[in-house]
Amino acid sequence: MQLLRDILDKQVVDREQVKIGKVDGLVAELRQGKPPRVIAIELGSIALARRLGAQPGRWTARLAAKLGGKLQARPHRIAWHKVRDIGVDIEFDMDVRRTKIFAWQHWLRDHVVGRIPGA
Amino acid sequence: MKKLLEISLGVVTSVGGFLEVGSMATAAQAGALFGYQLIWAVVLGTICIIFLVEMAGRFAAVSHHTIADGIRERFGFNAFIWPLLAVLLVNFLVLSAEIGGVAVAAELATGISFQWWALPVAFLAWLLLWKGTFGLIEKGVSMLGLVTLCFVVAAVMLRPEWKEVAVGAVPSLPHHDTAKYWFMAVSILGASISPYLFMFYSSGAIEDQWDKSYLGTNRAIAGLGMSFGGTISVGVLIVAALVLGAHGVTEVDDYNQLPLMLIPIFGFWGFVLFVASLAIACFGAALEVALQQAYLVAQGFGWNWGEDLKPRDDPGFSLVYTLTLFLAAVPIALGLDPLKLTIFSMALTAASLPLTVVPFLFLLNDDRYVGKHRNGVISNAAVIFVIALGFVLAVVTIPLQIFGGT
Repeated sequence: MQLLRDILDKQVVDREQVKIGKVDGLVAELRQGKPPRVIAIELGSIALARRLGAQPGRWTARLAAKLGGKLQARPHRIAWHKVRDIGVDIEFDMDVRRTKIFAWQHWLRDHVVGRIPGA
Repeated sequence: MKKLLEISLGVVTSVGGFLEVGSMATAAQAGALFGYQLIWAVVLGTICIIFLVEMAGRFAAVSHHTIADGIRERFGFNAFIWPLLAVLLVNFLVLSAEIGGVAVAAELATGISFQWWALPVAFLAWLLLWKGTFGLIEKGVSMLGLVTLCFVVAAVMLRPEWKEVAVGAVPSLPHHDTAKYWFMAVSILGASISPYLFMFYSSGAIEDQWDKSYLGTNRAIAGLGMSFGGTISVGVLIVAALVLGAHGVTEVDDYNQLPLMLIPIFGFWGFVLFVASLAIACFGAALEVALQQAYLVAQGFGWNWGEDLKPRDDPGFSLVYTLTLFLAAVPIALGLDPLKLTIFSMALTAASLPLTVVPFLFLLNDDRYVGKHRNGVISNAAVIFVIALGFVLAVVTIPLQIFGGT
């Protein structure tokens, strides 16, 4: 398996098969005398903006913190040991409802989309 | 039997997607000014789109990825962002043109200026997406699209010299208005080879849960559906050549001239048929483009998506098509000429092709996605041809726009 080829930019789903996002970034741990090890994936706008460059990453982080509070100032992380299946999508043993990943979608649902009749 | 039904539904659907304001306007303009001489551009565009649509469907059926998913996953986000931005922009202009097409039809029918119709049209389209399901939109709206077959009937009833029509299917050099000739050829190609068409098709294949058993169905739908659509475009072109050209209208620069096309054949009903065809074809396309815009963003960022979900279950997705529809209505509501916008956006579509078609060459030859269903020599030759064509179009579009645009 090649990390960048086979994991990065893959669709992420939780154990209910809800589409959470894409693998926007990978987090590796450097260990003394041993090869580095992947410990988590990152997803969300900050992780994505960092791939375009350090500057866009900082701007997005600042914007996210302003809009969503301190909790949104860093990219969302999912620990690698929670990975359950790598197929068309990459499935993690987690429930997205217990994370902050969908905070903005929920905000949209409660404040904008949900208020339009018929939603 | 079920397969046969599926194929015929698919064919009908793709006709609905193929024929829209772009192909109607470009074919009518080309016919009026150059007679049958530009039929080859319609034929060439149709052959190209058959190949691309077949590949998009095969890719989705085998790999269970849409084209947008595939591009992001295979090339990474930093590469994906370019086709993403290009398609979002082109789709936006095309959507605006389609809303303009429906608005013009409404003006022709009621006498109330098209500007007033832009927002109501966008609202109606939004309402259908908001409340409707994918099946309703895909099948219901495109069923109505069959009314556009009246152009084929009209073309046959006009008894054209079929030999001359056949001669037009072979590319030839223009005898007059050289820059305009090539600009029109580019616009016709852009109207036929629309990225939204094959991207929408791959999303539809995922929504309809296609798998490998659909490969034959897919081939039949791509081949027959696009050929049908191309035939109707040729019908429009022939009618325009024989009716508009014969009445001395060589320059279609005002959409009020267009309904004249069917009147000599069907009388008053010709007017009604034209207005209905324009309205339905453009409305169907507007729905598809708006949905495709939301698909593209949702697939690109990995959000939940699906036209069958309730808006509250995919708020990001629903918000994208809502915003797109209403923003796209704004230029028309402000009085931007729908016909000019159409021709312009078709040329820009042609110029954006390399960004969306180059990935096909990689995706459809990658074992990890399509396994043993990878492209054969002919399909690869077709992709390379479209890419080459796309690069030429991208380079020549802007100069031609300046010298040959309307």
